[in-house]
Amino acid sequence: MSDRSQLISTGKPFQYDRERDAEFERLVKRYPTRESMILPSLWLIQEQEGWISQEAIAYVADRIGTFASMVYEAVTFYTMYQLHPMGRNHLCVCRTLSCWLRGKQEIIDYLKNEIGITPGQISEDGRFSLEEVECLGHCGTAPVVQVNGEFHEDMNVDKLKALLATLK
Amino acid sequence: MADTIKLFVNGVEVEVEAGKNLIDAIGAVGIEIPHLCYHPALGADGNCRMCLVGIEDGRPPLVPACKTPAQAGMKVLLDAAHIKKIQRDVMELELINHPTDCPICDQAGECKLQDYYMSYGRPESRMTVPQVQKSKKLDFGCGVVHDQERCVTCGRCVRFCRQITKTGELGIINRTDDARVNIFPGRPLNNRYALNVVDLCPVGAMTSKDFRFKQRVWFLKKAPGICHGCAKGCNITIEHNREKYQDDIIYRFRPRLNPQVNGYFMCDAGRLSYRQENEGRLLEARLSSQIRPLSDVLAACNQEIERAGKIVVLLSPNCSLEQMVAVKTLSAKLGASLSGFSDGYVKAGDGDGYLIQDDKSANRAGLTLLGIDCTQETFEEAVREAQLLINFNNDLTRSYTDSELKKLLKDTKVIAVATHNDRLTAMADIAIPVATSSEYAGCLINCDNILQAFALAVSKNQQPLDIGAIAAKLGSPLQSRAEQFAELRKYISILKDFEADTLPAEGLKLNDSEAANVTA
Amino acid sequence: MEVKILSAKFDIKDANKIAIAKTLGAYATLDKLFAMKPEDVIEEVKKSGLRGRGGAGFPAGVKWGFLPKNTGKPIYLTVNSDESEPATFKDRYILVRDPHMLIEGIIICSYAIGCHDTYIYIRGEYTTQVKVLQAAIDEAYAEGYLGDSVAGHDFQLNVTVHRGAGAYVCGEETALLESIEGKKGQPRSKPPFPAVAGLYGCPTIINNVQTIASLPFILTNGADAYKVYGTEKSPGTHLFGISGHVEKPGMYELPLGLPILEVIDKVAGGVWKGRKLKGIIPGGSSTPVLLPDEVKDVTLDYESMAAHKTMFGSGGIVVLDETVDIVQLVKNLIDFYHHESCGQCTPCREGLGWMLKIIKKILRREGSMDDVLLLRELCDNIEMKTVCVLSAACTMPVRSYLDKFRHEFEAYVQGASSAQVKQE
Repeated sequence: MSDRSQLISTGKPFQYDRERDAEFERLVKRYPTRESMILPSLWLIQEQEGWISQEAIAYVADRIGTFASMVYEAVTFYTMYQLHPMGRNHLCVCRTLSCWLRGKQEIIDYLKNEIGITPGQISEDGRFSLEEVECLGHCGTAPVVQVNGEFHEDMNVDKLKALLATLK
Repeated sequence: MADTIKLFVNGVEVEVEAGKNLIDAIGAVGIEIPHLCYHPALGADGNCRMCLVGIEDGRPPLVPACKTPAQAGMKVLLDAAHIKKIQRDVMELELINHPTDCPICDQAGECKLQDYYMSYGRPESRMTVPQVQKSKKLDFGCGVVHDQERCVTCGRCVRFCRQITKTGELGIINRTDDARVNIFPGRPLNNRYALNVVDLCPVGAMTSKDFRFKQRVWFLKKAPGICHGCAKGCNITIEHNREKYQDDIIYRFRPRLNPQVNGYFMCDAGRLSYRQENEGRLLEARLSSQIRPLSDVLAACNQEIERAGKIVVLLSPNCSLEQMVAVKTLSAKLGASLSGFSDGYVKAGDGDGYLIQDDKSANRAGLTLLGIDCTQETFEEAVREAQLLINFNNDLTRSYTDSELKKLLKDTKVIAVATHNDRLTAMADIAIPVATSSEYAGCLINCDNILQAFALAVSKNQQPLDIGAIAAKLGSPLQSRAEQFAELRKYISILKDFEADTLPAEGLKLNDSEAANVTA
Repeated sequence: MEVKILSAKFDIKDANKIAIAKTLGAYATLDKLFAMKPEDVIEEVKKSGLRGRGGAGFPAGVKWGFLPKNTGKPIYLTVNSDESEPATFKDRYILVRDPHMLIEGIIICSYAIGCHDTYIYIRGEYTTQVKVLQAAIDEAYAEGYLGDSVAGHDFQLNVTVHRGAGAYVCGEETALLESIEGKKGQPRSKPPFPAVAGLYGCPTIINNVQTIASLPFILTNGADAYKVYGTEKSPGTHLFGISGHVEKPGMYELPLGLPILEVIDKVAGGVWKGRKLKGIIPGGSSTPVLLPDEVKDVTLDYESMAAHKTMFGSGGIVVLDETVDIVQLVKNLIDFYHHESCGQCTPCREGLGWMLKIIKKILRREGSMDDVLLLRELCDNIEMKTVCVLSAACTMPVRSYLDKFRHEFEAYVQGASSAQVKQE
């Protein structure tokens, strides 16, 4: 974990699009307290924008009717919430035990040497961003790479090469 | 007396109050269980793990004392080697990422972490790897400055803002050893009690912009006092120091626990009102703008009193009960009309239902109890007919504009018996300096009919007389505080059981008939 | 060796779709269920000996029995699908390949405990899985298995999926509750236990996906049929995940009680590349490692693991071959648990970060024997001093590596590594 306290301000007010607005209203009925909407609301922002800005956090806090500090706590605690814009293709390489045992480092090395990005970076053309993540629950088919939410199992350099070629 | 139970601490039987957790129950009989995150006003959180103790009854080997209710017959283990080791180990972990900047830290001298370190044998650091780096000197607003590296993330400040003020400005963000206290960008501390987080912080992470770098705390003398900022009468500690060749100066007010008045806290305005004790004071007696010896000025006053046909005596609602009876008897002797008119001290709608009251005076209930007329009509009528107004520190600028005042007092001479050298004093024909509330002892009745006594806290190089003494010099028959107190007993029957210096520390809740007097 | 109880439909195409699932028997227990009294359902589950499959192995029926009666508050069921313990990947198969078995299990459990609102807490990383699960729930609503009248009976049940967002600690049941309530996933002090004061302060049962998914079989076939499998104290089957250095890693359903070495050889194809075995992590990364000469008579059940001073855990078996650099592995583990520490209690928050920096220092060959000994001491100083067991999940295995592979650490601090795995 690294410090996630630095939020990025877009300088523009945030609001949900019509689809997310409806989804918020649907979900809020499923919980007895509005605070329970903090995590789902943040997911809706990330779905809509790809990342979560300072304004979006404030929007969620005000819409739920809770303290901005509560939402700030949640958004910095849960590491899947992205606090800055990502590449068009976001690559998550599992770094934990079984993937480590079965060669995740080759994947990381390849991305560094061929794409020129190390974990935490975005490629200059904005095509890729790379994150090393903790166990993704695909240990039996390790190593695993998650690209834009899709899992790619039993990865190796050859499969990765082919995969990257399909990503615009 | 609350119910008590008996339990064993380190094999020794002790009697403690029932219904409390182990920290409070055992702490009340003088046995401290180390803790950082627990605070009685904020409840048990259990995150610091400093208060782990053993209970010899087959439950898990360690329990947090803050979360464990004291129970009869319980066998609590505190001084066993393995428990001491755990406390030392947890303390070591608190310290590994804590900067060693005690020499420049305002908390030094009243820091729990420093105290524990000293009491656990001052172990050598075994930290040979780089510390976690965080932000320093963050301005959280309301005069609170935060140092994330000193913070032990006990969360007291966060809980205060969520549970007590319900404003929730603070949060602990991130997780792991990157966890840190912060405000959400653009939403700083914005409540009227924010500076309490500085007191609550067990270490030097929260500092007060007003106080930081002013004094080393071990130089400060501490005296109990009562805040005069509003009718609540929050109990305070007056912290002051006389530096070499200097006068005795107050550096801060801090809240002092009184469960039936203010609990552990006070408002920021009251806390910062210490400045008025230091600043803008009237220091010399003046006769027609000329500085003169007090004796000369008092003599001139007596001449004015003799010369005047009709006199109005005005009391401040901040005066102590003793001062009020002294002035009341003076007024009676002079055949003057006595008023406590002070509508300007009330800021309607400013109170918050918690500590802050609409009424910004400390003892209006005293005026009422002594039957002193406070109406504007009576006061103004009396002034119009009078040749002399003796004003005992009533800040009339709160009730009138300057032009209104000039009009009201155009044919009236004014003797201002005043603490401060302000516009009102400047307008007076005669000015006599008197002591502020930290410079005399007295009693007040707060908005909840609780009578509270306070002692003299500060002795200046040239200590001004208090209003009661000036009243005596102007002819009041009550020549001492003892005589004033005796007079008070006529109004408040319960005082027959007490002397001025034996009133209970938590205050005296006036009974129904006396309370009825108060509101009459 | 494999049996197909829970995994019976895993290999059938589109078994996640309700139409297919129903032809394979999904929701067939419901008429029987609603003909029973709730307490009889609990009794049957108790009789089956089903133990919680999240890692702790607490008997499920007994747990349900802790619920206080007539509190006037709603009772909640939360299904723990946070599956985040490294080397654990079993619940994912249920979510994706037979979600209706889980939903049916939820109906059974909810009816038994008197719950009308169930929350499934699924880890945020399960992006594709949550879609399959939600689609199955939508189907179940559409066909009347969820909603105001479950399968036409006088029983209302709503199921809501709540997504986590990247926090291992939310697998701890009270952290999971905090997370549903919108807070950071920081475990609560116990007592009170969730059965008394859980979600929104109400009585709450939290069970693992696999535990709940085992219920339809038990109810259909009876407790005795379930107990045919496994051992006396560890009855039934378990979805074992075998990963690491084996020829055929994967998820296998096995009865409890099989010899671990036989399973690795016969089911998972043995240690890969013809290499020698160096150690086995028996139940997820938090369980202490076993050496080759320790595993000979270890069987895959709770009792055998405890007898060998390790734990059954989540059934995630990791095989280490002779090439593994244990010091690197320990760094990988500490890195994980440090990253996942919720930051609440001092020993875990500060201690795991310190341990990580020390192991990195050792790996840089800047460490000394004092650092190795400090690392070992910190395991003791941190463990069991915290609200939850996350720190113990780190210190227990790390201690086992330090004790069982001390020579590898010594080699690093003496300036030479005996291992061949290249450094990160």
